[in-house]
Amino acid sequence: MMGKEKRLPLIIDSSDQLPSATILKRFPLPRNFGVAPDSRIEEGQVWKAPAGASRTKAFTIYRYDPDSGDNPTLDIFEVDLDDCGPMVLDALIWIKNKIDPTLTFRRSCREGVCGSCAMNIDGTNWLACTREIAETDEAGRIYPLSNMRIVKDLVPDLTHVFAQYAAMEPWLHSKTPAPENERLQSPEERSELDGYYECILCFCCTSGCPSHWWNGDRFLGPAALLQAYRWLADTRDEATGQRLDDLEDPFRLYRCHTILNCTRTCPKGGTPARRSPRSRK
Amino acid sequence: MRKVPTPTPLNHALALGSSRKGAGEWWAERLSAIALIPLTIWFAASVIALTGSDHAAFVAWLKTPFATICMILLLIALFHHTALGLQVIIEDYVHSGAKFAAIIATRLGCFALAVAGIVATLRIPFAG
Amino acid sequence: MSSPGARGRPLSPNIQIYRPQLTSVLSIANRITGVILSAFAVLMVVWLIAAASGPQPFSTVQRSIGSLFGQILMLGFTFSFFMHLCGGIRHLIWDTGHGFELRSIYASGWAVVVASILLTALTWGVSIWMGVG
Repeated sequence: MMGKEKRLPLIIDSSDQLPSATILKRFPLPRNFGVAPDSRIEEGQVWKAPAGASRTKAFTIYRYDPDSGDNPTLDIFEVDLDDCGPMVLDALIWIKNKIDPTLTFRRSCREGVCGSCAMNIDGTNWLACTREIAETDEAGRIYPLSNMRIVKDLVPDLTHVFAQYAAMEPWLHSKTPAPENERLQSPEERSELDGYYECILCFCCTSGCPSHWWNGDRFLGPAALLQAYRWLADTRDEATGQRLDDLEDPFRLYRCHTILNCTRTCPKGGTPARRSPRSRK
Repeated sequence: MRKVPTPTPLNHALALGSSRKGAGEWWAERLSAIALIPLTIWFAASVIALTGSDHAAFVAWLKTPFATICMILLLIALFHHTALGLQVIIEDYVHSGAKFAAIIATRLGCFALAVAGIVATLRIPFAG
Repeated sequence: MSSPGARGRPLSPNIQIYRPQLTSVLSIANRITGVILSAFAVLMVVWLIAAASGPQPFSTVQRSIGSLFGQILMLGFTFSFFMHLCGGIRHLIWDTGHGFELRSIYASGWAVVVASILLTALTWGVSIWMGVG
């Protein structure tokens, strides 16, 4: 956890800080505003905690079962806090072990480095394994990553966003033949990559970007653009001109309106928006 | 327009390729914005200074060469910025065929309004 | 019982559940104020045409601006103008590549809100003082 030193009120220093100023938990729109009929969320079941649990907390969790043919629902689970670990991912695993084994979600490293458990917790995208239960709302709300096709429960279909990443050709392009040893780079040149190579491709940023919500088909989104910049900035790469040409498009790059939801939500403290002006120049 | 077949996810992401343009409009929006900062502040200050004046005072203010030039520049920069901004908004939210009609109407409308404003400004000294 | 392919996968909610934050709220405010200002740009041309048409049309337009409804509109317009101006300057600073750390984003964001309110109040104060004096 990043340090919890005294911070100025209303000024967010790092993305792990919870929202404090926004009074509204969601935009004042109807619950199923603009939602296609087969994506409408309906009421689900309530699952009580086992008898004897003294400290419980309720989580409202998005469920979708592709085999049932029903619409997605919201199930309410009561979690016994004395029986499960401190993180939201621990709560999900506890629910799966003790209450409902059909709850489906991705997870792997449980320490915030793989990006598998990215989901929308209390309205913002984050990794479930690095969000403490104590930091969630009274009635925690767990949804899958926003604006993604859902395979099952909290598992999004990341095919399109990964394809957008692949379209950036995230590998070294070089016409110079490979040298005997490494392709050398000074420490200053290497530091150009800082802030870009650390991306874990969790897609919290892309699925939190309103421009990607409305134009995700053609707008590349913060994650792909960040990686595009990572290769633009790499001094060993020799296709800079061609990369810039491929980016320059009213939709691919210029749908970025510096809304900055990406930077606010990155669980690794990244700034996907920063590369934007440099790409434009 | 023939639709490109999209069998693979990568194909879908690449779509019809990059159009290799967009930087020009991005710059135009920034340039018009930079020009608008002093021009709109001048306009706001002038309007406040003219509070409570009548038509004669207004004409006296606008017919000076400085005011006329600033007003014309303001109209040009304002409607260029407006046209670009509204076009971006339409591109963002409208995805049907109505998009082209909307963009054409917006750009032509802004151009017409700019011309109307400039003509009105030039006719001010002869009014009243 | 239907297969996943036939039914299609549902889309997870986006704006319906995503939390409004200073980032997205100020961004949409900049866009909304821009649209409001576009409407007022049209009215400004109408105002100029009225002025060019003679004292009668001009005083008609000035009277309607001076009415209660007109003054409410003008208040909305001045606030939109200053919010879009300050927001626009914030955007131009981002375009130079500066100010992307979260701390700067939030500090500049709140500065835009405060500046818009203060400038609106200042403008109206000066205008009222000039009208009265």
